[in-house]
Amino acid sequence: MATTSLGSGILGAATDMGDAFSFWPRHNEAIYKRLESKHAWLEERHAGGDGAPAETEDPLEHQMSLNIGPQHPATHGVLRCVVKLDGEMIEKCVIDIGYLHRGIEKLAEHKTYQEFMPYTDRMDYLSPYSNNVAWCLAVEKLAGIEVPERAQWIRTMLCELARISSHMLWLGVGLMDAGAVSVFLWTFQGREDIYKIFDHIAGARFTVSHSRIGGIASDLTPESLALLRDFVARYPDVIEGWRKFLNRNRIWIERNEGVGVITAEEAMEMGLTGANLRASGVEYDLRRFEPYLKYDDVDFNIPMRTEGDCLARYFVRMEEMLESIKIIEQCLDRLPEGPIRTDDAKHAYPSKEEVYYSMEGMIHDFMYTDTGVTPPKGAWSYHAIESPKGELGFYLQSDGTGHPYKVRIKSPCFSNLQGLEYMMEGHPVADIVVLIGSLDPVMGESDK
Amino acid sequence: MRDDAKNIETKTTPAAHETLKFHFTPVDEPRPDQENPHAKRTTHVPEVVEALREQFGEAIGDVVVYAGEHTVFVDKAQLREIARYLKDDLGFRYFVHCGGVDRFTDEDRFEVIYNLVNIEARKRLRLRVRVDEDDLHVPSVATVWRAANWNEREVYDMLGIVFDGHPDMRRMYMPEDFEYYPQRKEFPLLGIPGSLPLPAQSPGGDLTMDPFAAAHGSTPVKSYEEPTEEPDTDDDHA
Repeated sequence: MATTSLGSGILGAATDMGDAFSFWPRHNEAIYKRLESKHAWLEERHAGGDGAPAETEDPLEHQMSLNIGPQHPATHGVLRCVVKLDGEMIEKCVIDIGYLHRGIEKLAEHKTYQEFMPYTDRMDYLSPYSNNVAWCLAVEKLAGIEVPERAQWIRTMLCELARISSHMLWLGVGLMDAGAVSVFLWTFQGREDIYKIFDHIAGARFTVSHSRIGGIASDLTPESLALLRDFVARYPDVIEGWRKFLNRNRIWIERNEGVGVITAEEAMEMGLTGANLRASGVEYDLRRFEPYLKYDDVDFNIPMRTEGDCLARYFVRMEEMLESIKIIEQCLDRLPEGPIRTDDAKHAYPSKEEVYYSMEGMIHDFMYTDTGVTPPKGAWSYHAIESPKGELGFYLQSDGTGHPYKVRIKSPCFSNLQGLEYMMEGHPVADIVVLIGSLDPVMGESDK
Repeated sequence: MRDDAKNIETKTTPAAHETLKFHFTPVDEPRPDQENPHAKRTTHVPEVVEALREQFGEAIGDVVVYAGEHTVFVDKAQLREIARYLKDDLGFRYFVHCGGVDRFTDEDRFEVIYNLVNIEARKRLRLRVRVDEDDLHVPSVATVWRAANWNEREVYDMLGIVFDGHPDMRRMYMPEDFEYYPQRKEFPLLGIPGSLPLPAQSPGGDLTMDPFAAAHGSTPVKSYEEPTEEPDTDDDHA
């Protein structure tokens, strides 16, 4: 056992940053102590039915501990996995997050409700539109604001577009982790098309901030509608092409099949969300569980798998992309005419025409920027949406002012990464990249 | 020099809270429920509250309903039994998240909220536990739902509430030697100057101060012994 040498000896001077960071030695010490003392689920699995403990002898010194990340291309950001290896197998794993911690829950307490929305773009930065909508819906629930029909349809549609964009990145990057670089380039072409649509709609390609409390910022133009129709017409075939390439690809299947198997029981116990939960056979999708926006009115399926391995998660997400296209198609067909923001100066921004051409409009605009929505004093509520990563919810508490008293974010990637610790144990090192890729974590969201 | 003494003073003297600007007065009486356009069917769970009352009686406190959501205040001492009962008998097998709230009051300053879901019956329930500042201990439910593990660590990291019986009570985001709890209301938004010095700009250089602290005249301090180093023959230019 390399207990004593873990702190500095084995890892050497290269990782011993004791003279550069003051927090580093104690932080590392705690992690390694945890790694040593951790009760590994693997021990349980290996112990078998006879009650004998798992093998702990190590005469050939096969055991070592290894740091993967925080700066590693396969960790999709700044995820640090400290693993204890026995030969090539991972015996125990401790995940250290917080390298991207910005404290946005604290920041939110010092912003008005509308001011905080651009921060949500930076949480799950692969699907900013979903985050905007999640935040706006949470505030609308807290303050009891009604949203016009047209805005709801547009939000539904663009949330699904964000889902496709996020899943495209997951696919490209996940395949690149497994060694196929060309798909990465194909999906980036797809993402480019989606960015073009968002650029037309919101004026920004990446961090859109297009949703507003009580509606959306601007209506869709004929050009953006045409772009959306074009996307919907073209992309089922494109995705079908990717599926054709991958579904019978021997390398891809052998890398994924039977890797990181999570049963339905375990998935619920670990609190996995989103596609990871549904790939294990748990029927939990907030679009059905507690329908928000227009998901009650559109016709779509929620893909499910029961195997619970990386391949199942791949199939679920691939099918989700096609279902999302179906939803966007229906939204385009059924998009009603009407206002895009609620007509109440206490609940939403007035339209720009009002601001420029009437005194009241200008006053309202000023007041909304200065104070904004003031939900009832002492009220609290929780609203969650099914973001591409899973259940993204905001618990809000109000003290009757324009600033939230407390914001608590339920971040799906945080829950999924917690499950990763468990999933990794018992797999070879080479599977780490596949496992991380299949869970689709975004550190901006899990680190808050 | 660094105003360390002052920082420690504000941290340990409870009277300093009263000087802070603050707007919140908590409302304890249940509010009348209103029509909410976003209210969900899943959060309306009077039958679960009834079952809990029947089983635990006194340990179940007020029930607050807002926006169609039932919030049940429960007794801290019996939290784990209630959690076990909810999971095993009432089917709340999916732990969504938990979080802490700093109410900034003299009594029962902190609250921990638990968000639980029964997937099969399509129900969502919120438990709420009050924690006093003098006794920052809550029984951990990580032994009931394994998913509570990281969430409770995060609450500990942000508010300093200790979860008894938690298998791994470390900080979640902040480094281990960080001395403060950032989401407490008295913690300033810009941080405590000098509490997290940044690494040196050059090898062998001095620690740098974060810009905010530097603007306020603080200099970084190392919190550990300087390693004694053999003088190198060259590259001392840094």
